Amino acid sequence: MIVLAYILLILAGAFLLYMTFRTNDRRYIYLAVAFYVIFPVVLTMQLPIDISPESQQLYDAIAALPDSSAVMLTFDYYASTLAETEPMSRAVLHHMFKKNCRVVTMTTIPLGGPSISERVTRDLAEEYGKEYGVDYVNLGYKANYVAVLKGMGSSIKAIYPADNSGTPLDEIPLMAEIKNYDDLDFICVIADNGVVEYWMSIVNAQYGIKIGSGVTAVMAPKIYAYVGSGQMTGLLGGMKGAADYEKLVGKPDAAIKGMAAQSLVHLFIIFAVIVGNVIYIVERRRGKGRV
Amino acid sequence: MSFVEHLQIWIAAFFMLSLFSFLYKDNPFYKLAEHIFAGLSAGYYIGLVWHAVILQTMINPMIQDGKWWLFIPGLLGVMMFSRFFKGFHWISRYSLAFVMGNTAGIFLLSELHGKVIPQVQATMRSVDPSQGFGGLLLSVIIITGVISTLLYFYFSKEHKGLLGGVAKLGIWFIMVSFGAHFGYTVMARISLLIGQVQFLIFDWGGSIQQIFF
Amino acid sequence: MRTTVPVIIAFLSGFVMILAFFFNPEKSFIGRLEPEVLAWVTIVGGFTLLLGVVSIVRVNFTAVKRRKENWPYKLATLISIFAMAIPAILPSSWSPLLGTGTGSIYDWLFNYLDAPMMSTMFAMLAFYIASAAFRAFRARNAEATLLLVTATLVMLWRVPMGEAFLKSIHGDLPQYINTYIMGGANLAVQRGIIIGAAMGAAAMSLRIMLGIERTYMGK
Repeated sequence: MIVLAYILLILAGAFLLYMTFRTNDRRYIYLAVAFYVIFPVVLTMQLPIDISPESQQLYDAIAALPDSSAVMLTFDYYASTLAETEPMSRAVLHHMFKKNCRVVTMTTIPLGGPSISERVTRDLAEEYGKEYGVDYVNLGYKANYVAVLKGMGSSIKAIYPADNSGTPLDEIPLMAEIKNYDDLDFICVIADNGVVEYWMSIVNAQYGIKIGSGVTAVMAPKIYAYVGSGQMTGLLGGMKGAADYEKLVGKPDAAIKGMAAQSLVHLFIIFAVIVGNVIYIVERRRGKGRV
Repeated sequence: MSFVEHLQIWIAAFFMLSLFSFLYKDNPFYKLAEHIFAGLSAGYYIGLVWHAVILQTMINPMIQDGKWWLFIPGLLGVMMFSRFFKGFHWISRYSLAFVMGNTAGIFLLSELHGKVIPQVQATMRSVDPSQGFGGLLLSVIIITGVISTLLYFYFSKEHKGLLGGVAKLGIWFIMVSFGAHFGYTVMARISLLIGQVQFLIFDWGGSIQQIFF
Repeated sequence: MRTTVPVIIAFLSGFVMILAFFFNPEKSFIGRLEPEVLAWVTIVGGFTLLLGVVSIVRVNFTAVKRRKENWPYKLATLISIFAMAIPAILPSSWSPLLGTGTGSIYDWLFNYLDAPMMSTMFAMLAFYIASAAFRAFRARNAEATLLLVTATLVMLWRVPMGEAFLKSIHGDLPQYINTYIMGGANLAVQRGIIIGAAMGAAAMSLRIMLGIERTYMGK
């Protein structure tokens, strides 16, 4: 039965590629991509996940923190990449709350950052029975991330006189204990843009605090350089990284559920590239040069 | 699910499908969704800046903590709007110069101290004979890759002779890295689509099931 | 006055940041000045965000007023801006629907309209990238072939089905890809680019502080 399903899947993909080539209408390829995403999601297919060493490194770094450590989790991503980044934030926050860490969250993203961080932290805090202001605080957004990152090194209160909902920091018990980076044990940056590099070059380099990160797949290859240099302690790369962490904390969610669809579409694209190149080679030999 | 929950899921699904309809061809639903999206995003900034910047960082500290001098950055901020008035646009240069100069001051040190030095150090330290053949091979790849990439981007001398050869090697390394980037980019884009499909199937599909079945 | 003063401002504000790097943040005047100056920057930065909004309102308002092509859509943009902004800036003490907190109109509009649309806009790129891979990703020469082979290996390695396939060829193949392609050749190139770009950024910063670089002033 499963073999038959796979044969049908391959035939469907091959047929749609053939139609794309014949009609030169790219919508057939769109149809194929939609098909390979919808099919495994509808069937809720789940595949075994092998943990990447970089994901394991991040997990180990957080696991090694003493209970009740003060940590920072950043929501440096736009809503456009929620499918990759929110599962990372959730998985990491699960881990932090499980360890009874005191969590400070913030964002450098003006469009949606504060709303996303508020939604995710309150959602998980409810699950773990955490109290706002004592166990976690959401600082929200301030403009110009370079100034924000640098300024928090001297005084968080100077940059964030109040939290996301406008409560003065002086009235928040947790923030009485956390004045600047010296009072934090670890920072986990979840980002979909270059701000993660400034967390390295400004915060890690100048204040010596350990930083781990979860970034979108587009960013991940670049961040390998920081992991290799030891500036970054662990890395979650794209949905696979999120799936790794969900498995590590034992909270399978959207990322693990998405890996089957991810697999099928990747295989389809590789198949399409091979077919495209075969057509190209054949036509070049015939001297047509159409493709 | 309550009526409101159903309604909000249907609204989100409607606008998502309106945008996806562009894949077939441009149409009024797509255009409407696109324009509403642009408007809401711009409107979001107004609410955010009003609360997070103007009230929390400027006005409240001025009133509650007596930090009257915060009117200066406020004034600098307002001066930015002189760009919209012909003949007065030069006033905005003062505010821009303040932000640019400040950022430049931070970058001048952080780019060297936080990027160049640690990355050069890590390259030098990558040579570790205790790691065996695999480690040695990795060191050779890293050192050769870093030097050849840097030399590929060195355009003050024509890429001929030894420099040309090393630059050519640099291109090969760059192609491997760009290939990895492409692979990861494909992954990123597909992940985003999966997220949307999960919403449409589980949330919207769940709502449809509850209402109609 | 129009050029010299901004150059002096840029130099002084940058110089304070450089000095602050070398001083104790709590025990020196410069150290205590630093977070204050940075708070100023966040305030000015906030106003710059509004520049774009004012520009969008101006452009769309003019188009609606003059009944330009597609003006009803531009009217929708204007209505959306104000529908989001007006309830947000009114105090939440009047009603929980106002302000920017959880359960407000602002929060609702973001979570159920803006965020899904933003995600969808980017999700559409999945279709385009698949189409581009089929139509344009060709092994035209040695370099392009190298790129194509690496991309294929990485695409396989990053998903469970592909990883299983690679393991069936050689048990350690996924680990080799991670070590030698991602942590080797890719890391080396990224490191080269980071070093080069960082030196360029530092040089540009110095040019801005010294007033040599004035393009941000429109010069």
